[in-house]
Amino acid sequence: MTTLTNTIEERRKTFFKRFNWQYFLQDNLTGSRWLTIWVAFITLVTVGVFVGQLGSAPGWTLILTAVWAVGILMVVAGELFGLHTSFSRWLKDNLLSSISNTLVTLLIILLVAQVVSGIWQWGYVTATFDSTRTAPDLRSEGATWGVLWGARKLILTGTLAPEHTWRVILTGAMVFVLWLISFIATRPTVKTSMGYLQRISITLWLLAPIASYIFLAGLEYHEPFINIRTLLTGLVIVVAFMALLWFFKVIKLDPVSIGLWVAAWPIGYVIWQLIARTGIFPTINVDEWGGLLLTVIFAIFVNILSFPLGILLALGRRADVQGIPVWIVWPIALIATVYLLSTSTPELWTTSRNNVERALALWPLLIPIAAYFYQRSFQGNMVQAFSVLFIELIRGVPLITLLFMAIVMAPFFTASGSAIKNFWAVIVGYTIFSAAYMAELVRGGLQAIPKGQYEAADSLGFNVLQKYRFIILPQALRILIPPLAGSVIGTFKSSSLVALVGMFDLVGIVRGIIGNGQWLGLRSELYAFLFVLYFVVSSGVSWYSRRLEKRMGLGTR
Amino acid sequence: MGQISATPSPPTSNSLISRIASYIFDVRFLGVLGQIAFIIVLILGARTLFSNFAGNAAKLGEAQFICRDGTFSYRCAYDFMENEAGFDISDAPLDYTNTDSYWWAFYNGVLNTFRVGLLAVVATTILGTLAGIARLSENWLVAKIALAYVEIIRNTPILIQLLLIYFSIILALPDIKEAIQPLGLPIFLSNRGLNLPWPLFMSSASTWIAFLILGAIQFQVLWILLGKREEITGHKSNRVVWGIVGFVLIALVGWFVSSSVADNEGLLVAKGSRIRDIGDIEKVMLSRAGVNHIDEFSALSEEQLAEVALKICVLRDSPSESNFTNKLRALNIPYDVDRAGSPDRATADFVDGKCEVFAAPKSILAAELATLENPGSNLIVPIQETPIVWHIPHFEGFNVLGGYTMTGEFFALFVGLTIFYGGGLAEVVRAGILSVSKGQTEAARALGLSEGQRLQLIVLPQALRVIIPPLISTYLSLMKDTSLGLAVAFPEMYLISQTLLNQSGRALQIMIIIMLVYLMISLTFSVILNWYNSRVVFVER
Repeated sequence: MTTLTNTIEERRKTFFKRFNWQYFLQDNLTGSRWLTIWVAFITLVTVGVFVGQLGSAPGWTLILTAVWAVGILMVVAGELFGLHTSFSRWLKDNLLSSISNTLVTLLIILLVAQVVSGIWQWGYVTATFDSTRTAPDLRSEGATWGVLWGARKLILTGTLAPEHTWRVILTGAMVFVLWLISFIATRPTVKTSMGYLQRISITLWLLAPIASYIFLAGLEYHEPFINIRTLLTGLVIVVAFMALLWFFKVIKLDPVSIGLWVAAWPIGYVIWQLIARTGIFPTINVDEWGGLLLTVIFAIFVNILSFPLGILLALGRRADVQGIPVWIVWPIALIATVYLLSTSTPELWTTSRNNVERALALWPLLIPIAAYFYQRSFQGNMVQAFSVLFIELIRGVPLITLLFMAIVMAPFFTASGSAIKNFWAVIVGYTIFSAAYMAELVRGGLQAIPKGQYEAADSLGFNVLQKYRFIILPQALRILIPPLAGSVIGTFKSSSLVALVGMFDLVGIVRGIIGNGQWLGLRSELYAFLFVLYFVVSSGVSWYSRRLEKRMGLGTR
Repeated sequence: MGQISATPSPPTSNSLISRIASYIFDVRFLGVLGQIAFIIVLILGARTLFSNFAGNAAKLGEAQFICRDGTFSYRCAYDFMENEAGFDISDAPLDYTNTDSYWWAFYNGVLNTFRVGLLAVVATTILGTLAGIARLSENWLVAKIALAYVEIIRNTPILIQLLLIYFSIILALPDIKEAIQPLGLPIFLSNRGLNLPWPLFMSSASTWIAFLILGAIQFQVLWILLGKREEITGHKSNRVVWGIVGFVLIALVGWFVSSSVADNEGLLVAKGSRIRDIGDIEKVMLSRAGVNHIDEFSALSEEQLAEVALKICVLRDSPSESNFTNKLRALNIPYDVDRAGSPDRATADFVDGKCEVFAAPKSILAAELATLENPGSNLIVPIQETPIVWHIPHFEGFNVLGGYTMTGEFFALFVGLTIFYGGGLAEVVRAGILSVSKGQTEAARALGLSEGQRLQLIVLPQALRVIIPPLISTYLSLMKDTSLGLAVAFPEMYLISQTLLNQSGRALQIMIIIMLVYLMISLTFSVILNWYNSRVVFVER
């Protein structure tokens, strides 16, 4: 006992020998003018918050402050008597390293406790979870979570007729099974023993969109069963596509693959017609899709469609082709200008009503200006000019205006002014928007590939397609995984905006539910639920992308 | 290995055909040919779209392009914008009534877009910088809180954040009657929004601003002179402190000079009212209420107070009101304000006895006095003014009036945009700070630079080079996302244009205008960005 006391006494003495009050004050308080002001400010705020909370919730405030004080005591004891544990050392380094830090720690503890307790009070203590007690006169003070269960059908599938629900479940089950297969196929032991499983799973994934379409949108049966014209047209397209791939040396032509390619279409056609004739999957109006179903379909659809389009735009923007030479552009531009000035302008000018219209009548003068900038900025490279203009124009306007344009304006530009289903219009508008952003990401990835790689591919005699397919894109896409994951998340998150143009995705249907008599005004509950849902899904995707990144050894090569 | 078979063999024969063939199969020639084909396809596509449009426009909406004389012409596409708008804007920045034109309504919307967008840009910069620094804090809790903020905000849609902020936080704030007043300041936070004190410039402010400019010149001159002296004598002096002291002194002198010289504000009173200067008002009120001291007013009931209250006329939105009523409130005098739309209306009220005093600039009062039937029985009493007078929000009946009012919708959009883009900016700032290598800081220390010099000369210039490009694109996205005002019913450009569209049915015309405005905003930001990038190009090693 005495030895312990002696040791402690000894340590205390050595501490005070080492400890210098002057340095301590300088480090914590008087080091500079700003430090003093900062410490004074933070003291004031902390004391203010402490006193304020002592009034509203004395018990919790005192307990938390006591925990904080115990932490300080542990650190002080550790410093004074050398009684540091690893925990007290961590406290000292991370939470209580200086006077201002110690105060900030208390301040944050108190503020977080207040916010958390507020949410807890509302969301649990005073909340009801009974789905039968959601009517306005039966609600308690806190949250009425019963609405989530009560409105589950709407939240999940929107206005889809209940007799079709099983088809959504079927699609979900199919995706789950496919995921299970690829999960098993990528296990190391399976990978070596049953290598073909991976090929099968990839093929199944490629067929999954068609199957999902059949499940969710349904098939319409057209007489006769075998329509020779459709069959032959399809066959011609398949063969032409195959020839194109062969020309660019993407595929080799051996009898087996020719047979597979040619046979695929008729077999698929027959299966398609067979399913259609049974009538198991009657057609569903795509505008009936809603809720989570619609949000998921949007996210997947738009991401899949915008990816190739984005790559094309990015390649177009970097396309290094010979521009149209000056001696072709300028004569054509000048002739066109003179021609239009002599035909269009006089009529517009004579009928003009004010100066603005008079100025607009001179519109052909814009042609040489455009030609000048075309030559100066793009050296006559039309592919580049188109890609750049497309990307920049799309990126310059908000998504919501594009969606609105798609819904309202699309009928104006179709041949017969026929109505396009809102769903397809929004998909088109959204894909264009997403592709423009994707293009910029891909461009960044392409720029990151060293020039030597391009030159190496050229010197090996690769054509453009081979160069990008075998050399550039595999490297660029690997770099692109993190930004692409970000873009996938972004597309998923922004899909909530379609609610503002009248679609019934998650947000749209929730806005509908809130306006409903039984669930009238349960905004906070439903929006909080959506908030958490989006957060979980987005974090999940970004967690998965980080894992993928690690697995592909990004940054380690 | 030996030979390389891929070596192109030179053309063996020089015949015309092979020369032409070598031109035709030249990649450059094919490229040009392909591009011309591309242009032709583009033009054909555009023509199809346009002819479709022309056909559909004629069929679907001939009314879309109708002129005033009833004929159909594309040149009349925007004629409808001169029609009477017919709808109200809840939060119009300019003077707007529903009888104004569509153009004026749209212009108000554009101004609202800039109002909320630019304010949010400033706030985002502050919040993002703070959060970015907090992410690197040595305090574990601070760093983790900042991390949680960034992660939560970046993984949820801005639309849902906005809806939560508007419906669950702002609309859940107390009613205006029980508005939150932090620390007892005249700031009112309620479900109607935020009311803040706001400075108003009186006419004497121009004199004061001249003094401020003088102060700024003084600062610059002193800076140069002291710098010269330091160079010559080596005597170090604190240039910033002296400059600020001089500036404050000049500003104070200017304040007193301009407020004592100013003689613009006045009160129109009846001679019989015994009010000859502002000090008399207190005596008049005391005798009217029959009390000895002004503090006894607090003992009076509401009805009694309303009866004895001083009735004043002012012009709507005029700074004279705040100048006068601030003085009355300082004296604890109860008053009752009648806000008139025009001087003539106010004078008519004054003559009718609806108010006892009419507070306005003297020039207006003199003009009005001349129009009265018997000018002799009234007189103009001068009142003191300061260059800047605070428009202070206060209760009037069940409402808070005065000051700068941020409506709940504005507040929700502003806060929502700030929080969302602040989260994104935090990561940008963090990356910028981390991009400056530690060696730079250490080198600056080794050179003996002070903390401030180190930040100003070494760290910031390098960090800013990384921060500014994404910063500007964040600003751009923010400006575009003001269109989400639609979700919280804030009347910015997009919401107004939607209303216009619903009323007029001219979808194409309106979409073209708003896209042009957004493109102009984008173009401005990208011009700034390009200019900055060309100024601080990375020197690659």
